[in-house]
Amino acid sequence: MQVFKIPDSIIEGSKYTFCPGCDHGIAVRLVAELLDELGIRENTILAASIGCSVFLYDFLNVDSIEAPHGRAMAEATGVKRARPDKFVFTYQGDGDFASIGLAESTHAAIRAENLSGICINNTTYGMTGGQLGPTTIIGQKTTTSPMGRFKETYGYPIRIAEHIALCEGTAFSARVALDSVAHINQAKKALRKAFQVQLDGLGYGFVEILSTCPTNWKMTPDQAHERVRTEMIPVFPLGTFKDVTEVSE
Amino acid sequence: MTEKQLLKGNYAIAEAAVKAGCECYFGYPITPQTEIGEYLSERMYELGRGYVCAESELAAINMVIGATSTGARAMTSSSSCAVALMQEGLSYACSDELPVVLVNVMRAGPGLGYIYPAQGDYFQAVYGGGNGDYKLTVLAPSTVQECIDLTYRAFHLAHKYRNPTMVLADGLLGQMMEPAEFGEYPYPEIDNSSWALTGAKGRPNRKIYSCARDEDIHNEHIKHLFRKYELIAKEETDWEEFNTEDADVILVAFGSMTRNIKAAMKTLRNQGIKAGAFRPITLSPFPSQRLSELAEKCKQFIVVEMNMGQMVQDVKLAINGKAEVDLINRPVGQWLSVEEITDGVNNILNKIPAKVGV
Amino acid sequence: MEKNYIIAGFGGQGVLFAGKIIANAFMVAGKNVTWYPCYGAEMRGGTVNCEIVVSDDEVSSVHKQGVDCVIALNQLSFDRFISKVNKGGTIICNSSLIEEAKPRADINYIFAPMTDKAIEFGNHKLANMVSLGVLSETEKELNLAILEKAVDMVLPEERKHLLKSNVQAIELGTSKQSSLV
Repeated sequence: MQVFKIPDSIIEGSKYTFCPGCDHGIAVRLVAELLDELGIRENTILAASIGCSVFLYDFLNVDSIEAPHGRAMAEATGVKRARPDKFVFTYQGDGDFASIGLAESTHAAIRAENLSGICINNTTYGMTGGQLGPTTIIGQKTTTSPMGRFKETYGYPIRIAEHIALCEGTAFSARVALDSVAHINQAKKALRKAFQVQLDGLGYGFVEILSTCPTNWKMTPDQAHERVRTEMIPVFPLGTFKDVTEVSE
Repeated sequence: MTEKQLLKGNYAIAEAAVKAGCECYFGYPITPQTEIGEYLSERMYELGRGYVCAESELAAINMVIGATSTGARAMTSSSSCAVALMQEGLSYACSDELPVVLVNVMRAGPGLGYIYPAQGDYFQAVYGGGNGDYKLTVLAPSTVQECIDLTYRAFHLAHKYRNPTMVLADGLLGQMMEPAEFGEYPYPEIDNSSWALTGAKGRPNRKIYSCARDEDIHNEHIKHLFRKYELIAKEETDWEEFNTEDADVILVAFGSMTRNIKAAMKTLRNQGIKAGAFRPITLSPFPSQRLSELAEKCKQFIVVEMNMGQMVQDVKLAINGKAEVDLINRPVGQWLSVEEITDGVNNILNKIPAKVGV
Repeated sequence: MEKNYIIAGFGGQGVLFAGKIIANAFMVAGKNVTWYPCYGAEMRGGTVNCEIVVSDDEVSSVHKQGVDCVIALNQLSFDRFISKVNKGGTIICNSSLIEEAKPRADINYIFAPMTDKAIEFGNHKLANMVSLGVLSETEKELNLAILEKAVDMVLPEERKHLLKSNVQAIELGTSKQSSLV
C-alpha cells in the first residue's frame, strides 16, 4: 500500500504561496520527492529565481541562493565550479529562463555544466499579472497583447526544450506536462533523468514543464488543464528531445 | 617569488588573486584588463581551480555571487562600460552580504568611450549604479606594487566584512610595468562556516536573498548593512599624506594620479610654494574625517583627477566650507602632466580663472 | 633625476620587447623604472611604441608630454616623435628605414643602419637589438653585461635559446663591434 506523505525535502509546516490550482505546487512536490528518493537533499544547493518561483526557498528544505531575474544558471555555474561535489539546480519560470536569462540558460548548456534546470512554462508572466512572455502562444490574449499575440507585432513563442536540446553540452532535455496522472508520472521520470545526468557528470539536464496559471488565464483549474491539452501541447509537444544515456546504451 | 620583478599591473593583480587563494575566476574580455583573464585561464587550470569564460559580464558577476555564496574566494575583473553591466549584481551581492571581489581597470566613458585610461568611474564605484542603499568597499592602487597589495587586501576585506570589494585601477596601471614583489598573502583565514551554503545537513536550510516581504525586517536589514559600513569606515579607512604639516595648499588625487601630484608637490616646493599631497587609498570608506582635520589649518585644497570632477565632490563634503576646494582635471586620455598640474596650481593660487578640463 | 625613453617602430619590429629589455636593464642598474605601452586598438594602425621612465627617486608620471630620448625604428615613428623630443634630447634613428634628415637644430641625432646590420647578421628581426647596442653607447648605466641580464629576464623559458643571438645583435650596435655610431 502506498501512503501519501509530505516529502522530507519540503519544510515542515510550510504553506505554498502559489494560487489555488497552479501546477507549481505539483512541480515543487515532484522535485522534493526526487531529492528524498535520490538522497541528495543535504548536498543540494538551489539557485532560486525571480517570478512565482521566487519563494521556493520557503518550501524546499535545501540551501539556496537567490539570483537576479534571469541569472540563475550563471549563479548555479558559480556554485558548481566552486563546489563541484554539490548537487546544484535551478527552478525558473519561462520568462526568467528563456527571455531575460536565455543567454545564461543556453550558455550553461553549451558549456556542458553539470547542472539541472527546471523551467515552468505557463505562457505568461505570472507574478506581474499575466503579460506576454517568450512562450505566449499565437492568438493568446495577455495584458500586454490584449488583441492576442499576432506574429506581425509580437513574433513567435520559443520552444525551449528543443532549443536546449540543440546545445552540444546538453545531456538531457525533455518537455512534460502536469495535466494528468500519467503526465505527472512521466514528468517525474524526466526530472529524475535531468537530476541523474548531473549526478553522473554527463552534463546539463533540463526539463520544461507545461504548467497552468488559472489566475492570469482567468480559468478554473480544470479549464486550465484542458487548455494545456488543447492549446499548449499542440504548440509545445511533449517528449524527450535529447538523452545522451539512450544514445550510449 | 619574493624577488622584485618588472610586472605589468594586470598580471600583478591576476597573480595576487592566485596568491590570495582565489578559487574561481569568471570574466569576459574587455580592454584594458583582458590580460587578467588571459593569465588566469592558464594559471587556474594548472592549479585545478575554477575558471569560466563567461558569456557576458552579467553572467560573470552572478557566477561570482554563486561561488562566493558557498564561502569560496572568487573574483571577476572588467572595465568601465562592462562594470556598468555588473551593477545589478553588485546591489544584490551587497544586500546578500557576499564576499565578491571585483577589479575595474578603468577606461574612458561614457558609453563605449575608448580604451585609453580615465578615472570616470569614481561615482560608479563609490556611489554605485545599482538600486537601493548599499556601499561597496573600494580600494584604489597607485603603483603596480599596490595592485598586488590591494588585491590581497580586497580579498581580506571582502571576507572579513562579507561585503563586495572593488579594486579600482585604471588602464595606465593595468598596462604599465614596474618592479614589484608578491611576498606572501599577509591576512589570516576567515571562518565562514556560520553562513556559507554547504548543503542543509544537520542544520536548518540556509537562504541567501535580498527579498524581504516584511517592512520591519527590511528596514532592520538595511540598518544592519549601514552599521557594518560604519564599522568598515572606523576600522579600514586608509590614506597617505605627504608634507601636509606645513602645507598652504594640499593636492588631492586617487589611483595612479597620486604619482603625478607627488611629483608636482616637489616641483611646487622648489618654487617656494608650501604644497602637500593627500591620497585616499580607500575611496569607500572615504577619509573624510582626516581631510576635515587638515582643513583646520590648510585653506586651499586642489583635487586632480581624470574626469569632470567626481572625487572633488567628496572632498568638498568632507571639508564642508572650511577651505577652498578647486579642481584640475581632464576627462580622459593622457594623464595630467606634472607641468600641467603645477601650472594649474599657480593659476588657482593667483586667481587666474581655469579653463574647463584644462 | 628622471629621464624618459620612447622606442617606436612598426608591428613586428619587437618594439615592446626591446622596451622591456631597456626597463629591466635600468632596474638591474639600480634605478626605479616604469614601462608603459601604447595598447589595444592603437596598435592596429601599424606603429607601436612604449615609454620607459627611469628615475633615482620614485617615478612620477609614467607617460610624459616630452621625451628625453627616442629610438625610432621606422620613418613613421621618426615623423611622429621628432616634435616630442625635449630640447637637448636625443633621437636614435634606424637609418636603414629613416631618411637622414635633421629638421630640428636643438636636439641630438644618431643615425645607425640597424636593419642592414641585422640582415648582415642573418635576421632582419634583430634590428631592435642592434638599437639597444646603440643606446648603450649613450647611457652610462647600460653596458653589455647588464643588457644581457635584461634580455635573459625578458625572454620566456621556451625562447631562452635565442639569448645568444640577441646579445650578439646588441653587440653589433656598440662601437666595439662596428663603426655604426
